Amino acid sequence: MTTSIPSLAAALAAIAQADGPTAPTFWMPTGASTIAPGVDRTLDVINWICYVFFALVVALMVVFVVKYRHRKGERFRSEFPHHNTPLELTWTIIPTLIVIGIFVVGFRSYLDIYTAPKNAFDVKVTAQKWAWQFQYPNGAQSDDLYVPAGKPVRLVLRSSDVLHSLYIPDFRVKRDVVPGRYTYAWFQCDHPTGQPGKEVRDPNAATVEGSLDAAQRHALFCTEYCGTGHSKMNRYVYVLDETSFDQWMVDQSQWLDKIDEDQLWFKAGPKIFARCSQCHSLDGADGIGPSWKGIVERVKAYPIVGEGKRYATWEDYVRTSILVPGEYVVPPYANAMPTFKGQLNDKAIDALLGYMQNLDKFDPKTGKLLPTLDPETAQPAAGGAK
Amino acid sequence: MTTIPLPTGTPIRDTIEARPEADNYLTHTRGVLSWIFTLDHKRIGVMYMWSVLGSFLLGGIFALLLRTELLTPGPTITESADTYNQWFTLHGAIMVFLVIIPSIPAALGNIILPIMLGAKDVAFPRLNLFSYYLWIAGAVLCVMSLAMGGFDTGWTFYTPYSTTTTTGGVIPVLTAVFILGFSSIFTGLNFVVTVHKLRPPGMTWFRMPLFLWALYATAIIQVLATPVLGITLLLLIVERTVNIGIFNPAMGGDPVLYQHFFWFYSHPAVYIMILPAMGIISEIIAINSHRSIFGYRFIALSSIAIAMFSFIVWGHHMFTSGQSALMNTVFSAISFSVAIPSAVKVFNWVATLYKGSVSLTTPMWYALAFLFLFTIGGLTGLHLATLSTDVHLHDTYFVVAHFHYVMMGSALIAMIGGLHHWWPKIFGRMYDERLGTIACWIIFIGFNVTFFTQFVLGSQGMPRRYYDYQPEFQVYHVISTLGSYIMAFGFVLTAVSLFGSFFGGRRAPANPWGGRSLEWQCASPPPFDNFAKTPRVGDCYDFSVVHWDEKTGGYWVDESADPEVNPSAPPRPAH
Repeated sequence: MTTSIPSLAAALAAIAQADGPTAPTFWMPTGASTIAPGVDRTLDVINWICYVFFALVVALMVVFVVKYRHRKGERFRSEFPHHNTPLELTWTIIPTLIVIGIFVVGFRSYLDIYTAPKNAFDVKVTAQKWAWQFQYPNGAQSDDLYVPAGKPVRLVLRSSDVLHSLYIPDFRVKRDVVPGRYTYAWFQCDHPTGQPGKEVRDPNAATVEGSLDAAQRHALFCTEYCGTGHSKMNRYVYVLDETSFDQWMVDQSQWLDKIDEDQLWFKAGPKIFARCSQCHSLDGADGIGPSWKGIVERVKAYPIVGEGKRYATWEDYVRTSILVPGEYVVPPYANAMPTFKGQLNDKAIDALLGYMQNLDKFDPKTGKLLPTLDPETAQPAAGGAK
Repeated sequence: MTTIPLPTGTPIRDTIEARPEADNYLTHTRGVLSWIFTLDHKRIGVMYMWSVLGSFLLGGIFALLLRTELLTPGPTITESADTYNQWFTLHGAIMVFLVIIPSIPAALGNIILPIMLGAKDVAFPRLNLFSYYLWIAGAVLCVMSLAMGGFDTGWTFYTPYSTTTTTGGVIPVLTAVFILGFSSIFTGLNFVVTVHKLRPPGMTWFRMPLFLWALYATAIIQVLATPVLGITLLLLIVERTVNIGIFNPAMGGDPVLYQHFFWFYSHPAVYIMILPAMGIISEIIAINSHRSIFGYRFIALSSIAIAMFSFIVWGHHMFTSGQSALMNTVFSAISFSVAIPSAVKVFNWVATLYKGSVSLTTPMWYALAFLFLFTIGGLTGLHLATLSTDVHLHDTYFVVAHFHYVMMGSALIAMIGGLHHWWPKIFGRMYDERLGTIACWIIFIGFNVTFFTQFVLGSQGMPRRYYDYQPEFQVYHVISTLGSYIMAFGFVLTAVSLFGSFFGGRRAPANPWGGRSLEWQCASPPPFDNFAKTPRVGDCYDFSVVHWDEKTGGYWVDESADPEVNPSAPPRPAH
């Protein structure tokens, strides 16, 4: 009996440790950040005030309409109040007090949302039409957001074109991304989600859905209308325990360096293309920008673009288009492409050039290496059925 | 028309029935030109009405296209996100600038306001016609912008997207909205002067029907706020054409400045939409309860209070925009203050039902629907005025649901209710009340299925203006779309019931609902000059002198029994 009490306490503590994000409710999605419970409580309080007032108004309305219904030919009632000062004061003062209360509660939890702790871990976020780019202190970059668990994370937001807005519903966090100024958002999530696949940057890694419970990761949306790809500007947030996060950051910053030059086109190419695939297809389908299908032949055959500009080599054309997209605009496409200067280095551009020359070895729908090819050598797999 | 034996002492009723029916404003002159060049406020109002209803049909078609596209994630009826983006932009721009803003003041207000005042016309009839011409010019330009490449900026025209997007219709539509703004300003100006100068003897400020108070408060906002929109849109046009850099950060400008300018107009514009709706509801509820409205002075003054407050809450549209925490706090606090007069108005309307004699006419069903929907729309405003919850809900479907409950569920439902209320007066025909009531119920149910679902969708995290979405949101979208089809069916039925009145509808009596204000004391439809001589008025919410008349199938007002009108009448106990 005496031993069971501490063990019960230990069990309870274990449950508290393992309880993870709050469960989704009728109104709210799962709440995974430290501020979520506060926001949800505020919302609950407001909801209940609304239920009570709504029920009161509708109930009185229905009762009065039924009770005082008039039938044709009856005399109108002539005894009724025109006004009633105590009643009118009551129904003015009580709602006033209630909204003051709501304001105070909302204001207090807002201060928590607004002010990032001093020791926060900074991630630089660049929003552009129509992608997010996350940059970490060691120089690593990623398309999805990776953050350490149990640590406040501050996002430093910057836009390279129009307004965007970063929104993570599970964290109850939202902040507009405004060109010409920095804005900030912060959150802390104590519950790791795991990460997709083990070799994060392996070009042919299993899909995210295959390796991770999809419900665990947290969706990240753009909520400020930004044009054609607005609804495609959604990504995921992965929360890693601190050791895995540090390891991930190191791997992520070096993944391109670790690939040999001659393997760049099939190991790095598909990964980098994933960002281009918002606007460029491989199968000839029309997108926001021209399809890459046959691009090398096209460019070589006709070295003049737009208003009669001439380029030296096809590599020169591609490279310039990546770094200074407005230089060679192909009609009828609009000058819509953002610059990737500072995001793609020479090695990454080499990978893309190699990728473009070998498009027949990739699946034109997914952009991944064909399954009949060996992922290590890009040669037909030994002993393959075909 | 056969003569009806009249009870003694009914001079006004006498004059109504004695007027030759052939001479009313619809038949006074004939031919297309007599409409195009008319200075008659009723004809201008009727032209506005058809134009607004036509625009409503167009905006509604875009709404149905949007909802149908959202039935499934990814492409449903269009392969192109750009097309979808143009649809929602058009839906918003048409519904805001061409439908809701002019619907009640310019259409119903134009017809009813001078008659309620016992006047022959508004103060500046030529300016009134010019307002309508401007509206037509704006509407035509808006449609032309579609042919010039359309526009995909959202109805808010946020920079820098609106200054950089390649769609060709942006400048035409900005010009269109600029012109529509002037139409709105001139109407407002006209109404302010009319209410100040043309009130009849006996109508002091606190004897005005509440619809007039509401139109007056609206007109003040129209005159004061719309110029800000005009200059903002001009700046946007200049920015887009010659790149002056006022909103462009690369040249030292600030895109958030645009949002301040825009909402400095567009928040008051919300009250341009809802205040006249509240006026209509006050009229319908008082008349159909056949008793004086509860707390008249409060309802009258709260219209002015709301109009004033509406100018200092615009920042609540920008809680996540990068505005400072201090400003967010101040705007949040002020926004709550608007909730109080709105809540008290609702309590007053409900209290007006108490010990009344409630007739459940079609307009009354719309008024009750308004009470239900406006209560939801108003209460969900609390979630959005509260800082911490707004951060989560901003720019999601929760906001979409909230403003549809206010703009459509309240403003437009009140407009349709007002249309039913004054339809017999305007066209002299009764519609089928049973069909009208059924249509009202169908719209009410469809509306709630469509938009209540969107509250859940939004708080679950679905951002607005999305062509594509995560599969887990689909069930909500399907329900919402089904609701929109139900609603569309309800509107078709409404149209059938209203237009049906032209084909064999009963000839409308002068006063079908038992109103006391002046418009119920001239014939249906009103004669060309409204009143032969300026009438004297008493308390327009004192229904004790309103009596049912079996012969005409309507009510008549015994003004001579009111000591305020007829000093020789026996005095009645004061309340």
